[in-house]
Amino acid sequence: MNNWNDYLFDESISFEDKAVEVFRHQFINNTIYNRFFSAFGLNESIVPDADQVPLLPIRAFKELSVKTGEFTPERIFKSSGTGDMDQSVHYIAEEAIYKCSVLKGFERVYPDNPVILAHLPGYLDNPHSSLIRMVQILIENDTTGLSRFLPLKEPLDLSDFEQVKSKNRRVILFGAAFGLMDLAEKSPVALPADTIILETGGMKTHRREIPKKELYTILADSFSVPVKNIHSEYGMAEMLSQAYSTGNARFKAPPWMQITIREAGHPLRICEPGTDGKIGIIDLANVHSCAFILTDDRGVMDEYGYFEVLGRWNTNDLRGCNFLMD
Amino acid sequence: MEKRVKLIASVFEKWLQPENAELKAAIEQTVVEGLFSFEDIKHAILALKETVNETTLLNWVNQSGLKKELPSQNRILCLHAGNIPLVGFQDALSVVISGATYHGKLSKKAPYILPTFLRLLQEEGLLPNGNSSTDLKDFNDLQADAVLFAGSENSAEEVGAVLKENHCVKAGAPQLIRTAHYSIAIINDNKPATFRQLTEAVFRYGGQGCRSAAVVFAPFSLNSEKCTFTDYVESFWLTNPQHSKPQPSLYYRFAYNKGAGYEQSWLDDFLIEESPLKPSDKFVLHWIEGDVNVAADYIRKHGHGLQSVYAVNPEKYQKDMPHSVEPLSTAQKPPVNWKPDGMDTLSWLSESLGL
Repeated sequence: MNNWNDYLFDESISFEDKAVEVFRHQFINNTIYNRFFSAFGLNESIVPDADQVPLLPIRAFKELSVKTGEFTPERIFKSSGTGDMDQSVHYIAEEAIYKCSVLKGFERVYPDNPVILAHLPGYLDNPHSSLIRMVQILIENDTTGLSRFLPLKEPLDLSDFEQVKSKNRRVILFGAAFGLMDLAEKSPVALPADTIILETGGMKTHRREIPKKELYTILADSFSVPVKNIHSEYGMAEMLSQAYSTGNARFKAPPWMQITIREAGHPLRICEPGTDGKIGIIDLANVHSCAFILTDDRGVMDEYGYFEVLGRWNTNDLRGCNFLMD
Repeated sequence: MEKRVKLIASVFEKWLQPENAELKAAIEQTVVEGLFSFEDIKHAILALKETVNETTLLNWVNQSGLKKELPSQNRILCLHAGNIPLVGFQDALSVVISGATYHGKLSKKAPYILPTFLRLLQEEGLLPNGNSSTDLKDFNDLQADAVLFAGSENSAEEVGAVLKENHCVKAGAPQLIRTAHYSIAIINDNKPATFRQLTEAVFRYGGQGCRSAAVVFAPFSLNSEKCTFTDYVESFWLTNPQHSKPQPSLYYRFAYNKGAGYEQSWLDDFLIEESPLKPSDKFVLHWIEGDVNVAADYIRKHGHGLQSVYAVNPEKYQKDMPHSVEPLSTAQKPPVNWKPDGMDTLSWLSESLGL
């Protein structure tokens, strides 16, 4: 395939057809995925349905160099983490695919060209952060020039929001959950009612882990916006596409990404709607690394295909004695 | 103290008499319900028989610093959880020895055998009626003075909240929480005796106990000794069939290792792999080629959650280790005074209850 960028985001081609194409490409050119897949007694001619395909455990990005084919990366994303073994590394062969995925994914959810005010650390300090790069792409795409990274140690400046309003646009205040919580606690302020607060990242703040819905209520109250205006983004360094929630912490993936909830004890099986398991992802934008990923996130899906992220799958509870499990 | 210990030792002896029909029935029931294999139960009981007697109990008391019996008004709630047939035995024994009053929430996986011992203690007036149950609700309003339990650090807060809400323990009562969940073995040769001891340390109780070795450091690679070692494992399984079985996700892990190119050995119900990870999954033995220094580095890095370190000759390794080293042969046959999570339960009871 010469032009993956056009192919992957072409909505006239079904997800299943594209998934098979990406699978074949990775089966042939990605040794890790090939050996993993073949261990199940499968081969290129017996491709299971997309929702039953073996998904590579996400730790591969921490332990191995996950590449399809040989290439010099245009960019490298790294997850947060302290030691080498705690950090995922994602080698990006074609940044254009990432850009396309970010912009198309965002525009599907927010077609009215909102202005991004990002309450996140800047790009210079985080050159390998996929989140920062994603926000930077969104900021660069805004033709008004009003989108930008906000200074982190200062309270929100209402004049920034008023300026956006004067241009008949609305603001998306984009930030990590813990940063927004800090802001809410230290300098709450009434924002224009149409402001969207888009939080991302874990639910663990500096102090404690809080449920998403509690986070939403605190943010809505602190910034005087309706709870329905608190949205979430689900992304990670290991995948080049994002899912968004535009209410109730229920996420929807873009058409080039498929989410399944896999049984933790039998990851080839899909959980029934309402039953929690590990979040499985087929992200076709990962065409040059691995598109078939089994995360360590706990999730649940409803019958309409919306999913919730319930936290991390806690491996500490797997081995040894545990009163709560008895 | 001595009189009390003598009485407890005699109760223990009586408990293990061949004519103890109640114990036999409890073992049978445990096997019938598929909770543990007969072989594992037999091993657990024989291990106790070899390690518990008047002398070892008195030594334990002396070592613990417990000078006199604790007042029996002190109620100790033990929440037993685990994957071995006599889980909670040492905790129950330590509370009874201390003089405090034992109350035990029994493990649902091991609800029959321990109570047969508790009943004999009760007959001797060492325990009150209704001292144990598998239902936590039976301990509502107990207002215990201290609590002992095992779990992950994440669960400790939750358990504490449940106990407080139901007045199972007094506000501010001391808690002894055990979080260790794996052990390490260091071997330096491939002699038959070493491999036999290693096999027992790893595979007894399906490798489920926190004393089970989940990581082995050896001077040779897995690949070089794979065939020899698995012969010992198969031989062990012939006489001790593995009772608990892994989930299909274990095969998924095998497939992942294939993808990653990690050396491994698939044993159907167990996986041995050469990987640098800290153990978390059940039924996995991590094989690491390395000497005592490699093991010491690993412990410094991943020591959180580590229960025990074993070696054939512990004295040889102790000075280089950031953790105490025990004989490999005692992995599944610990002395009665062994210290779960490095804490002597008797000492803890004595100190926590202010004596």
